[in-house]
Amino acid sequence: MRERASPLFRRHRPSWTAPVELLSFGLYFLCAVLLVLSRIGHGAINEARNGLVDLSAPMLELASVPAIEARRALERAELYMAAFDEVDRLKKENEELKQWEWRTKLLERKVAHLRSLLNAVEEPALVYATGRVIADARGPFVRSALINLGRRDGLRIGYAVINGDGLVGRTVDAGHSVARVLLLNDLNSRIPVLVGPAGVRGLASGDNSAELQLDFLPEGATLYPDDEVYTSGSDGVLPRGLRVGVVTGSPGAYKVRPYAELNSLDAVSVLFFDAPALTRADPPEASDGIGALSAAPVAAQETETASAGLPMTVVPAPTGEQAQAER
Amino acid sequence: MTNLLPALSVLFAVVATAVPWGLPADATFILPLVVVMMVFCWRAIPGSALHPAGAAGLGLLADLMSGGPLGYWALMCLIAATVGRRAGTLKESQDVGIHWLIWTVLVSLLGVFGWLLASLYYFRWIDWWPIALGAAASVALFPVVLYGLLWVRHGRVGLARNTLFRGAS
Repeated sequence: MRERASPLFRRHRPSWTAPVELLSFGLYFLCAVLLVLSRIGHGAINEARNGLVDLSAPMLELASVPAIEARRALERAELYMAAFDEVDRLKKENEELKQWEWRTKLLERKVAHLRSLLNAVEEPALVYATGRVIADARGPFVRSALINLGRRDGLRIGYAVINGDGLVGRTVDAGHSVARVLLLNDLNSRIPVLVGPAGVRGLASGDNSAELQLDFLPEGATLYPDDEVYTSGSDGVLPRGLRVGVVTGSPGAYKVRPYAELNSLDAVSVLFFDAPALTRADPPEASDGIGALSAAPVAAQETETASAGLPMTVVPAPTGEQAQAER
Repeated sequence: MTNLLPALSVLFAVVATAVPWGLPADATFILPLVVVMMVFCWRAIPGSALHPAGAAGLGLLADLMSGGPLGYWALMCLIAATVGRRAGTLKESQDVGIHWLIWTVLVSLLGVFGWLLASLYYFRWIDWWPIALGAAASVALFPVVLYGLLWVRHGRVGLARNTLFRGAS
């Protein structure tokens, strides 16, 4: 005789009661309605979603701490394993960078001289705020991340998000204290880019995989592996010159390998770049105070940063108190 | 508290799906399918109380956290809840093997259905590989999750609690 210790072996009688069946049918119908409303991008759905994400933000922030610490510990362990090789590599890289530093300073002087000769207009400074990824909102069909910056920090929809390596994505939802960043490799992500030293125009499209597809290249365009890819700014949303990645693949199937490690994002910066297209799509709130380029505090201390290879000056966003003082 | 155990454990899993683990892009289907599998298991375990509305609500929470189409994981959880309840009535002397087989069939069908639904939602063919990987991983993880849930429901947790209460009195 078989032993029946597991509760699974017990006789099980389902409850075929009309209310439950009716409720289930109603729930299936509700799911279908939600899918349709979500597809058409109903405003109420988006508002409800933003509100609920805002509510769940503290819980997510708390829950993400152990995961982030565990990931860092793993990274540290990996680093220790390859410490000697890493030191050698860094020494070599440091030597190369010293040479580059000297060349860059020379070029900077040359550019400044030429600009003064041409009487060129100064480029506006970019304001940014740095936050942390609190949830890996990468569903099977969506590659996004939740960050702990929101409208209270002056953030709006459409802002570029970068980390130390390069462009990460752009904000697509902004709640009071959290925002959703659509990552570069998301199915809905399309970034107009320039490729290589010749500045060949193209479109880097996400397809939910680790690399981006490079489409709409001009007829007969010749690209080479490891050619640098950076934003063209022709969409009127992202600033020009943000580092995206490098070219991989072969002619006819060129791809872009992003510089940023999109699977393990931690600290990211949001660039408050208010292009006209963006201002129309998501007008700034009167109470924002910060966020628009025009509202960039003149007195804000300029910082030198190499983040994402930005061609323009980058200044950190003021805190709430500073913004109030500015007003 | 025992009645809330299924919902709380699934809620824990839903939150875990949103935590930045740093998983590769191809592995994004694994954790949400574990949530669906937990709903299936809780519904299949006799005596446990996870209402279909609760399952759909937890699926909806997963949708909200993932930023994906609202109702997608709610629908998946609802289907798993329905099949999970029916799975308990298939035959007498059912064992883990039969539930495992049912889950394998269910997750295969859910994978195909989910892929078609997502392709319809985005009006383009979605990459099927992550879905297949997630389904295969969930099949491999099934005994671990099922025994884990049985352990939570009937195992040492209860014994430890009784011991604690006896010690207190």
